[in-house]
Amino acid sequence: MTTWLAIVGVGLVTLLTRASFMLFANPHKFPHAFRVALAFVPPAVLAAIVAPGLFMPEGTLDFSFDNLRWTAGLAALAVAARTRNAVATIYMGMAILWALQWTLR
Amino acid sequence: MPAIVLHAHLDPFPSPHARREFLAGCRATLPILVGTIPFGFVAGVACVAAGMTPLQSVALSLSTFSGIAQLVTAQLLAAQSPLPVVLAAALVLSLRHLMYSAALSPHVAHLSPRWRLVMSYLMTDQGFAMGVKRFSEPGDRAYREWHYLGAALTLFVTWQSAVTAGAVAGAQVPASWSLDFVVVLSFISILAPTLRTRADLAAALVAGAVALIAAGLPWRLSLVVASLCGIAAGVIYERVKAR
Repeated sequence: MTTWLAIVGVGLVTLLTRASFMLFANPHKFPHAFRVALAFVPPAVLAAIVAPGLFMPEGTLDFSFDNLRWTAGLAALAVAARTRNAVATIYMGMAILWALQWTLR
Repeated sequence: MPAIVLHAHLDPFPSPHARREFLAGCRATLPILVGTIPFGFVAGVACVAAGMTPLQSVALSLSTFSGIAQLVTAQLLAAQSPLPVVLAAALVLSLRHLMYSAALSPHVAHLSPRWRLVMSYLMTDQGFAMGVKRFSEPGDRAYREWHYLGAALTLFVTWQSAVTAGAVAGAQVPASWSLDFVVVLSFISILAPTLRTRADLAAALVAGAVALIAAGLPWRLSLVVASLCGIAAGVIYERVKAR
């Protein structure tokens, strides 16, 4: 039951945030500080998602070179910053990870 | 002649111009699907692995159409988290949609509420990025919402198919393929273009560091704390610099 409530609730939360300014409100009616803070949401939330994926692949902190994901991930970040190309980033990231897995095995 | 009348009746596009925009949106999306398909598959597998039924996994995917919200919701439900915790996590993960919604709002103000609702439901990081790019290009601005719709529907159909395949097939892919790394790479590819200023970088570095430091908190609260700290860091950096 909780699962189905969560399915509906999470759906509503994601729909309402998406519809917020497109359907219900004018962003220019909000204080300047709110809009400044809004601009930092994507880098902050996305980095909070990415960091554990790179440095805690097994659930614990791992900065060693045995953890191939942060090396491959930072290389992919460099590709992404340089090319701004999502497809190149994903191809390069997977290629680097597979190459490291293959050579270090 | 009847054939032509029938065709005109079934044609969903108000003009050839709209159809061109729609198809251009679909085409522009095709290369990105190389990330969408494995990510969706991984999300479907992860939901079932976390204890959801395939039906629930697909229902969650249809109700949210957001990979990270699906993954985190499944994890939190598996950990028996209370419903308010699940909703709070979804809200934080969805905060970036507020910014996307604000950025798109001037471009869609002339459209009907129904159009704007559909555009909202179909909003994703990639769909937003492509939409805002097309909306900002110079030239004739008519029917550009059809470009957004073409891109968004392509992503939607692909995503839902991939999630369904993952949820039904289960973990058939060997772990040694590291296919789940596609999830991280997808977010890296979205993160990089958001890092335009030093303040953006400060927000990302602080959020990333706090996410690691606070990882021990229950209910993935690290995600919430890290995001809020990162946003605060960006705002403070901007304040200090302006002084």
